Amino acid sequence: MEATSKQKVPLPNRLGIVGWAWAGRYKIERYLYTLHRLTGFGLLAYVALHLVANGSRLWGEGSWESTLNFLSNPGFKVGEYLVMAAFIYHALNGGRLMLQHLGFTLGKPKPPIYPYVDSMRRRRPLTLVLLALIMGLAIYVLVAFVIYG
Amino acid sequence: MEKITFKVQRYDPDKDKKPHIQVFTIPFKHGMTVLDGLIYIKENMDNTLSFRSSCRMGICGSCGMLINNLPMLACHTPIEELKKDTITVKSLPNFPIVRDLVADLSLLFAKHKSIKPYIIAPDMAEIEKPTAEFLQAQMQLEEFVQFAYCVKCGLCMAACPTMATDRHFLGPQPLAQAYRYSADRRDGGAKERFHETDTPHGIWLCHLAGACSEACPKGVDPALAMQLLKRAIISDSLRLRKKPVPPSVAPPQAEKKPRVAVPDFTIKQPGAKS
Amino acid sequence: MRENHLKILQYVTGIGIFFLVGLHLLLMHLAKGDPEDWTSVAQRAASASWLAAYILILIFGIYHGLHGVRGLILEFSLPDRAVKVLNYSMLFVGIAVFGYAVYIPVHAF
Repeated sequence: MEATSKQKVPLPNRLGIVGWAWAGRYKIERYLYTLHRLTGFGLLAYVALHLVANGSRLWGEGSWESTLNFLSNPGFKVGEYLVMAAFIYHALNGGRLMLQHLGFTLGKPKPPIYPYVDSMRRRRPLTLVLLALIMGLAIYVLVAFVIYG
Repeated sequence: MEKITFKVQRYDPDKDKKPHIQVFTIPFKHGMTVLDGLIYIKENMDNTLSFRSSCRMGICGSCGMLINNLPMLACHTPIEELKKDTITVKSLPNFPIVRDLVADLSLLFAKHKSIKPYIIAPDMAEIEKPTAEFLQAQMQLEEFVQFAYCVKCGLCMAACPTMATDRHFLGPQPLAQAYRYSADRRDGGAKERFHETDTPHGIWLCHLAGACSEACPKGVDPALAMQLLKRAIISDSLRLRKKPVPPSVAPPQAEKKPRVAVPDFTIKQPGAKS
Repeated sequence: MRENHLKILQYVTGIGIFFLVGLHLLLMHLAKGDPEDWTSVAQRAASASWLAAYILILIFGIYHGLHGVRGLILEFSLPDRAVKVLNYSMLFVGIAVFGYAVYIPVHAF
């Protein structure tokens, strides 16, 4: 009997970069990973700008002062606060990731008994405490920015 | 009788350029699973609907699908637990679609094979011609048995954000199994597996999003296995890993009891000569 | 260098950045006077300990940032040959950025 259709190549079905940001009804750790990437990018961009701004020192006091005048724009102040918040998040979440990557704070493997509770769910209270700490620090820094400029 | 709406992804490689959604409304009965719904559709409404299923009890891993935006086993998902009147069923993401809800899992099996998912004992002669069972204490078993429950359903691979872009990434299932075998005291092939997993597309592209453990229907917790694998690789690299003790086999029996004669169980007809 | 060595360095530099940049932020924002004033900039530029701290921050920060970017780029299904090109590119970019960035405080010192 002749074949009625040629062997078809299966259709690719990867989510792509969208899959980094949102892929379904997952819990918080999935989105903490996305935020860690975003804050990493933000910090990298800040470092590049910071190096360029500091580079104006090479041309003396006049160049430095004009750079500072440019950076005193309110938009840059908002950006500076966001960078501080990003640093707080990236550093503290990075600490959590480092500990967990090395197998600490995740607990030991145990034979699974239904209903299954994975290590991420067991440690979620700690993660939420860490998030509360991050938000607390970010609010504290915001208040300091608003009061002291 | 209540009704439930199924929005099912359809894709016919002979006719369609891309997948589309087809809507079915089916009668709902208490206790019905998503798989029951799909079987109802196939038997009563559209017999061209293609999907995989086998054991219908959550043990074979065949019916992995994206159900209401979460990878799940269709047989293991009661419709009532979803708490929605509309169930959206699609093929597992990050795997190519063969047809409708059937995903091509060949890459999963190839990656699984690449991490050597078998015991590599220091004494291969004992593996090939066993003289007795290997000794393993309960505590030693508990170090890895959780990860041995994997049914290779592919849900963790569908959930992983790194799999969304990187087709070379080994993925949660092979990496978890690499740890399962490396942590087994009967095994001596940990260094070979570290070599396979400590690569640019290996274990270090896991960023602990945790979605794999969330999706796993058997409580395997691949995220935990992967972090323990990272720990093992780093310990080995920094020479902090304890030298594994070679596995021992059970000692021969000290006393051998005489064989018990097997009784004659044949049924004798009355009047027949013995 | 195997991948796990690069990752260990990522952890070490992460810890280093946390302390050094944290200290930098605290000293900048809690110091008396205006830290951005040219006089205080010049004062810090003449200090060997500040110079050493800046160089350390640069080394840690550039490594940590570029290794993170490298991991991100690797997730685009790069074949093995492209991975080698990526590694050398990151190394080149890192050295170039470090060269430019370290020149600023060294020149002022």
